[in-house]
Amino acid sequence: MKEQPIPERLQISPFLVFYMVMSIQIGIGVLGYQRIIAMDAGYDAWISILFAGGCIHVIIWLIYKICDTAGGDIVSAHKYIAGNFIGKALSAIFIGYFILFSLTVLRTFIEVIQVWMFPEISTFWFSFAFMALCVYIIFGGFRTVVGIAFFGLVLPAYLLLTFGWAIKFSNYYNLLPIWDHSIKELLTASYHMSLTFIGFESIIFFYPFIKEPKKSQKWAHLAVLTTTLIYTVLAIITFAYFSEEQLSKQIWASLTMWKIVEMPFVERFEYIGIANWNLIILPNVCISVWIASRLIKRVFNIRQKVGVFFVVAAVLSIINFLDTREKINMLNDSVGKMGFVFNFIYIPLLFAAVMIAKKLKKGKKK
Amino acid sequence: MKNLLIICLMLLLSGCVDKEILDDINIEVGVGYDLAEDSKDKYRGTVLFQEFQPDKSVINRTFSGSGKLRQDLLIDVTRQSSEPVVTGGLKVAVFGPKISRQGIYDLIDSFQRDPSIGARVFVVTSEDKAEEVMKGEYGTRGNSTYIYNLIQHNIDNRDIPKTNLHIVSRDYYETGKDTFLPRIKKIADDKVEIIGVSLFDKDKEVEILPLKDLFFFKLLVDKYSKGNFDVKLEKGNFAAVKSIKSKHKIKITDNHASININIEGIIREYTGRKLTSEVVNDVEKKLEKKVERECLKLLKQFQELGIDPVGLGQIKKTQHRKFDYKKWEDEYKTLEFDVKCNVNVEETGIIE
Repeated sequence: MKEQPIPERLQISPFLVFYMVMSIQIGIGVLGYQRIIAMDAGYDAWISILFAGGCIHVIIWLIYKICDTAGGDIVSAHKYIAGNFIGKALSAIFIGYFILFSLTVLRTFIEVIQVWMFPEISTFWFSFAFMALCVYIIFGGFRTVVGIAFFGLVLPAYLLLTFGWAIKFSNYYNLLPIWDHSIKELLTASYHMSLTFIGFESIIFFYPFIKEPKKSQKWAHLAVLTTTLIYTVLAIITFAYFSEEQLSKQIWASLTMWKIVEMPFVERFEYIGIANWNLIILPNVCISVWIASRLIKRVFNIRQKVGVFFVVAAVLSIINFLDTREKINMLNDSVGKMGFVFNFIYIPLLFAAVMIAKKLKKGKKK
Repeated sequence: MKNLLIICLMLLLSGCVDKEILDDINIEVGVGYDLAEDSKDKYRGTVLFQEFQPDKSVINRTFSGSGKLRQDLLIDVTRQSSEPVVTGGLKVAVFGPKISRQGIYDLIDSFQRDPSIGARVFVVTSEDKAEEVMKGEYGTRGNSTYIYNLIQHNIDNRDIPKTNLHIVSRDYYETGKDTFLPRIKKIADDKVEIIGVSLFDKDKEVEILPLKDLFFFKLLVDKYSKGNFDVKLEKGNFAAVKSIKSKHKIKITDNHASININIEGIIREYTGRKLTSEVVNDVEKKLEKKVERECLKLLKQFQELGIDPVGLGQIKKTQHRKFDYKKWEDEYKTLEFDVKCNVNVEETGIIE
């Protein structure tokens, strides 16, 4: 049984995978990952980022191998190994994963707005407006979503430069002595990078939409490499800027670093920065809602537009119950853990299963 | 239809957040803290606002209040002020003499916790009550701008080491380093001056370094880019060394700290007859001797007080794996120092 291929006018050029992967990876994790990894591995944690980045390259390779063998997205892969019914049941789990993903991103960002800028802003109404925008974008089709991913990465890219202000107040010898922590501590820190790094697995869901998918693999690798480098450099600047105990108190270290920014026309740069962060969050939520709705379409054979409304309704109804720092933190932790399990345990298993299925099917043909 | 919906949402939702119009709020630009006289309150705080007049002059307006927390103080002040009070423009925080002896960390913590307060706020201690300092009339651009600029250009060009709210709290949290704050004094109703640096043990002031030590203090804790120092020579002659650039290198072995200070400068003023190369050499030697002697004296003084503003502990941590802070605290008491200074006079001005 061959699935309907995606018509070429709906597909994207291979290089756009770069923007897709990067813009979904960079989201809310980057606002405060420095503290979390420094708790495990101290100021050696930047090594852990590089290590985690290295592991992701392997996973990307596995993802491309899976998709190539199964000839489609994860639903095809599940069908390939477990048949129609069980395959669909397995895929249905990921609808929940991506709903939670978009929920986490949105709620954490709203928390940032509430703590840093407007304590009185209403969680529900902000998410409602944000979701309305997302629905509008997703209704434009996958190519529009990719366009948003492009702009959501390129337009706020200047924000990276604003961390330059912190360099003047940094002590790079803070990072010394290098390698003062055990391998185990470094690995735990790598594990805690999950929330910050996840998102690249979205390739396995939009794979059929890539024109000449094989050509896109290098772009996916390049995207992961770039994010890894950005995270490492930012972590090094942060470690040099804060003392270790001070950093352990900063929930959003990246935002706190903006407090040192001084510009003649604006007293507090955080306001501009956080408002701009909206653009970084937008593709995160759009892509994950798109994936969730796409899965609904593939699994339940419902029109994707209906699926979008279902996802949005789910997000909007849950978001009101997340009202304290602890709950949001818990959500962040659990999504990070889920992401870890999915990326580093499930995908290798899936890869093994697909390879075995391929062998068996070849055997049958003979 | 869709567009219409979005336009409607934009119009409706723009009313969701309170607006703050600059003319209708009081922006806190400076704050001073003293110990409260009334024992049931903890602090007496004075908040400084700037009112900009149509003719571009600035009126300093202060409000005082007291309370146990910084927020109590703001509530007190809000009760007196005709407009709502916001803290986003804070530039200077002054601590009175008694409160800095008792500990200032809860207040610094509250500055850090407040997302609207920047990291470039200058935290200073004062010789007289902070309330008095706030209540002066300095310069034409407002008190807080005056104090802020006073400290800023003394950091850039003179003997105050780099400091601000971020650096203060970084040093406070750093194991093996102690904080210091610049100290100011109100000398007239329209003047304040810097009189030294307050040294802290954790968050309590323990000692005040007078002005004459500041040059050497900055050599030890920071680097110079534009320093200035007068060297006394034989026969009552003086030479002024300007544009001093300095760097220090500290190496700590088991029970010994060796500090290398490198100074580059040019001679700008000389009261003798002829500035020969022998005289230049003499200036270099004299300055080296002086720096070595005074820095050693300061380090010994810090050791006796049990404080470490230079951050020797932190430096030891970066140079030795598995650093044990508890052990270091004992080691520090018996640590030996040696200071080596190398002065290099590069130019002697445009005449010989």
